[in-house]
Amino acid sequence: MPKYKLIYFDIKGRAEPIRMGFALAGQEFEDVRIKKEQWPELKPKMPHQALPVLEIEGGVVLSQSFAIGRYIANEFGFAGKTNLEKAQADMFCDALNDLTPKLTELFHASDEKKAEVRKELFEKLLPAAFTNMERLFSKNKDGTGFLVGDGITWADIMFYNFADGMEQIEPDVLKNFPKLQGLLERVRNNPKIKEYIKNRK
Amino acid sequence: MPTYKLKYFKNRGLAEPSRLVFAAAGVEYEDIRFDREQWQSEKESSSEKYPFGQMPVLEVDGEVISESKAIARYLANEFGLAGKTNLDKAKVDMVVDALQDIAKGLVEMLFGKDEAQKAEAKEKCLTKTIPTIFSALEKMLTSNNGGDGFFVGDSLTLADLAFIAHTDYHVDQLKEAATLSAFPKLTALRERVLEQPNIKKWIEARPKTEL
Repeated sequence: MPKYKLIYFDIKGRAEPIRMGFALAGQEFEDVRIKKEQWPELKPKMPHQALPVLEIEGGVVLSQSFAIGRYIANEFGFAGKTNLEKAQADMFCDALNDLTPKLTELFHASDEKKAEVRKELFEKLLPAAFTNMERLFSKNKDGTGFLVGDGITWADIMFYNFADGMEQIEPDVLKNFPKLQGLLERVRNNPKIKEYIKNRK
Repeated sequence: MPTYKLKYFKNRGLAEPSRLVFAAAGVEYEDIRFDREQWQSEKESSSEKYPFGQMPVLEVDGEVISESKAIARYLANEFGLAGKTNLDKAKVDMVVDALQDIAKGLVEMLFGKDEAQKAEAKEKCLTKTIPTIFSALEKMLTSNNGGDGFFVGDSLTLADLAFIAHTDYHVDQLKEAATLSAFPKLTALRERVLEQPNIKKWIEARPKTEL
């Protein structure tokens, strides 16, 4: 019986960084994916009526994807080494998360509005965020390693999932950001992550 | 002890949880507040001090951290107010994140694009978002020693402090909507935390602002 059970929809969404985190940690977990039709019945049973949740052996149920992600990272040693490194990791993740409302807006926009929102995202907001990240990343070993400290952290996993998602919409999104492109490749080529990506549903 | 500088606008806003952490821990810091013009010129003249071009930022002996939750969590960890185990810390994060979900709705209600959108956001907040999340938090609090202590573990954490910061708005501007008073354990928690000497002292001394 696995110690961990992750429940989410059958998409990448907010659960994918967590799934990847378990893979990086080499930790087994039950990857429960519910169908959209099951959600209305399940929803009131969830602590915050939202997914993902992580059920931990012993009865604890965690919700909030970042709380779960950070918990796994701390448990399995890829959160950053000091409080400062952990704060820097959090900073990168929160900065990317700040862009999620705009992404949601794009997803739900009517056809007439889509072009406008897409332009704002890809010509203004993303370049601004990536410019800041490239600059900050360059301060850490000139951007030849990972975002924080000297090893992979959950900030790199979050960045990977975010940027990978953006590249699906706009393949050139990291065109002007060579260090971030390098980071993406570096994460993609981490043996445990590579294996996970190869085998994932 | 390191030197701390916290920079933000002349509001409680996103900086208040961190200010409450400093207060609870009894740690001195420079509480720097800019008005809009000062911020514009700061942003231009000292951009390297604002990693993502936003506030709040925390300067710790020359290191700069931005993103309000990252700052609050860092300070809480430094001063022992983050929760004792990784699991406790995750529960603290859950509370803080859940409160932010309400805050997002409130921001839309106050600063939405047009009157129609603001009205829609208000309706959603008052009938759905706030009751759902406060219900969950009341349940979570109650499951911890009957709800007469703190959100997580047996002592004050960032979860309780973030809750104080968040509910200032509920007890002032949303008083008539009775958003908080509908939840007895949450209401009592707020009163209990506000009575803590360090917190009480800060609340009395802090600049009075609308938000």
